[in-house]
Amino acid sequence: MKIVPLEAYLILSLLLFGLGVFGMIVRRNLVAVLMSTELALNAVNVAFVGADSHLGLVDGQIFALFIIALAAVEAAVGLGIIVAIFRLRKVESSDELTDMGG
Amino acid sequence: MMQWIAFLFFASMTLLSALGVVLLPNIIYVILSLLSTLVMVAGIFFVAGAELVGALQLLIYAVAIAVFYILVLTAVPWEKALKKDSHYRVEGVLTFPILLAFYLEIILVFLLGISVSPKGQIREFIQSLGNTQVVGSILFSKYFFAFELVSLVLLVGMIGAVIIGRKEDKTYEDSSP
Amino acid sequence: MEVLIILFPFIAFLLIGLFGRRLGDLPSAIIAVLGSALSFLFSIPALLKALNSPFSVKLYDFISLGSYTLTLGLYFDPLSAITTSLVCLVSTMIFIYSIGYMENLFGQWTYKFYAYLSFFLFSMLLIVLSDNLLGMFFGWEGVGLASYLLIGYFHQQKYATNSALEAFVMNRIGDWLFLFGIFSIFYLFGNLNLLDIFSKVKEIDPNLLGLAVLLLFGGAVGKSGQVPLHTWLPNAMAGPTPVSALLHSSTMVAAGVYMVARLYPVFESAPQGLKVVALIGGLTALFASLAATSHTDIKKIIAFSTMSQLGLMFLALGIGDKNSAMFHLTTHAFFKALLFLSAGSIIHAFHHHARDIYEVGGLRKYMPITYATFFVGALALAGIFPFAGFWSKDLIIASSYEASFSLGVFVSFVSFLTAYYIFREGFVMFYGPERHKGHFEEEPHEAPSVMLVPMVVLAIGSAVVGFFEGWYMDALKEHKEMHLNIAISSVAIALLGIGLAYLVFVKRFLDPEKLYQSLKPVHTTFREQFFTERLYHKILAGGYMLYSKVLYATFERQFIDGVVNSSYAVSSALGSLFKGLQQGRVNLYILFLLVGFSLLVLITFLGGR
Repeated sequence: MKIVPLEAYLILSLLLFGLGVFGMIVRRNLVAVLMSTELALNAVNVAFVGADSHLGLVDGQIFALFIIALAAVEAAVGLGIIVAIFRLRKVESSDELTDMGG
Repeated sequence: MMQWIAFLFFASMTLLSALGVVLLPNIIYVILSLLSTLVMVAGIFFVAGAELVGALQLLIYAVAIAVFYILVLTAVPWEKALKKDSHYRVEGVLTFPILLAFYLEIILVFLLGISVSPKGQIREFIQSLGNTQVVGSILFSKYFFAFELVSLVLLVGMIGAVIIGRKEDKTYEDSSP
Repeated sequence: MEVLIILFPFIAFLLIGLFGRRLGDLPSAIIAVLGSALSFLFSIPALLKALNSPFSVKLYDFISLGSYTLTLGLYFDPLSAITTSLVCLVSTMIFIYSIGYMENLFGQWTYKFYAYLSFFLFSMLLIVLSDNLLGMFFGWEGVGLASYLLIGYFHQQKYATNSALEAFVMNRIGDWLFLFGIFSIFYLFGNLNLLDIFSKVKEIDPNLLGLAVLLLFGGAVGKSGQVPLHTWLPNAMAGPTPVSALLHSSTMVAAGVYMVARLYPVFESAPQGLKVVALIGGLTALFASLAATSHTDIKKIIAFSTMSQLGLMFLALGIGDKNSAMFHLTTHAFFKALLFLSAGSIIHAFHHHARDIYEVGGLRKYMPITYATFFVGALALAGIFPFAGFWSKDLIIASSYEASFSLGVFVSFVSFLTAYYIFREGFVMFYGPERHKGHFEEEPHEAPSVMLVPMVVLAIGSAVVGFFEGWYMDALKEHKEMHLNIAISSVAIALLGIGLAYLVFVKRFLDPEKLYQSLKPVHTTFREQFFTERLYHKILAGGYMLYSKVLYATFERQFIDGVVNSSYAVSSALGSLFKGLQQGRVNLYILFLLVGFSLLVLITFLGGR
């Protein structure tokens, strides 16, 4: 069961995470930002599961489970906020949401 | 051998889909790319032998969350919003070197050696009982408290999402007591 | 028990200072008088005890510095005990006098005046009785402070406050030198106690000792108003007359002389220091008497006379005759205070309006007692037998003839001038036409008895103290003989001076006004104290002001203000910079998160390598 080395999982996880963060910074549409967040969370899950398979434990999988559940909650709340923002201001990008800026 | 090929396939598809999520301008394409990514990641989980997590990933992520995103994208009339460029150019160029530096850092951290955890104590159990049972037994004994907490967070999040997304009543615009 | 001598005035000061408002002015005055009188009474037994065997009284340990402890204590030997009684007696007389003098100011917080006077007495006694240089320095500073407070007592007059400041600053310069003198004494001897210093004085290198001595004498120069720190003394007359009588004639300015006499064993071992003392003393004596001949302010003439007599005392100290200097100090206290009190009586008679001797005249028939006391004082100052001044001045003249003939002639010339100017003042004020009729509305009347009694007591003192010379010299363990020829010649010279004044001012032998006009340049030079006062004001004070202005315009304005202003600019710029980082856009925040996280990883994981 140890044919796929640990490094492969970790490299994959790293690349996915980097892409996710890049997406968070670069995309203008708020929903796209949230989707990039899901990407980053998935990368973390891959890392956990990969380490788990390498070491023969299940604790990593349990933690991945928790992460999935919490990602679901976070997506729900985030989308609710976006819907509320849209209703209030009729915008969808973060350009106009700069009230808290200096 | 088969595992290696499967892993490579799933990994490359994941990365391609992730690139799509980040780079595609049309928002619907982005959603589809995300869906693709989630399914491929579930495949990676299966390759790694984490069947329960992979199944749950498919169920929760690829079904529930993706559908939720599509719902929001279609239920809200986006045509009323301002149409602008879909990416920030300047920040993109700025982030690139920082991201590269970050990659380098993490690789360095890994290469310099992290403390090694105990190796393979319950591999026999997994092989005999099957993955799901083992996960279940550990989850409800060792991580019981965390389990309860997560369910509590789920409850709170549900209530919060409902309240935030609710339509406001406009009864007090007439200012009649 | 002897510590009460110092404590009585101090307690009076505290009582009046704290409760004077409630007590009122007259009770405060009575407390001050009581404080001084009780000190005098308690000093008599101490004096009798000290004549036979000097003794010390330890007060308390002040600060202990490892190997040496600073203490406060009292030392009674004939010198200090006699001076203490003298100071207390003269103070009591003047305090009683001031009740009458300040009477028209009662009700305007005059208790402050008595508080300051009591404080002054306390400090003066500290100087006289202290057994180490530290206590003496405390008293030194204390009398300087009291002088400032009292000269500027009429604080609404700008002239008075300026004079007070001038007095304080010049005193300070002297005090600074005195302090360095104390430091060098401590450095050389390792000890500040007088008795210990006296015992070790032979072992110290005379050159170093000479330097210390000069520094100490610098303090005396400031305190006693000798050249070059002299310009404050005539201006100090801005204070009320009792202040002039007490501080600036008999006691405070005499502290300089007392200090040199007290530390005489140290001074004796450094002969070049003594030469400087004599030089400055002689210079001041001549200088001040020349100035006194050309001034016309009632009190300033007497002030210059004080300066001149102190110069003579320093001259005597410088040529090696400590005891005659101290005896002259004793007699001088009596007759100088008396002269000031008489002048004050005249000023009081005109309700404090009289300033100039040419504003009054012919007061002989209006104020007979004042006339008598003034002339007693003047005769004592001039040195006419049998008044006190004759005995003490004669000793000084004799010593100066012994030192060198030219010095003796010099001192005789100074006493000639002394007799001339004081009698000039007396004749102009008490004889001649009644000039005050045109100036003032008030009819001059004799002073009230509360003022007259002290004047009479001091007059009796001036007459009689001279006969105690033998006893005084015995007490200080010295025997001097009277040289008859010197006695006769000095009386003759004094009579010459008096005669000249009489001829010029009473008989109008030479018309003073015409003489005045023709000798104007000479006269003005004397009057302006050889322009030292103007010199100090223009060059020293003016130069310092210029320096301050330049420094303000350049250093202060540009550098310091620049630093402060630029800190505003810098923090404002930094603030704008940081403000620019916070756009409010979520995406940027995530970028910063990434940056921060990578830095964190860098530090935590890779930093420890």
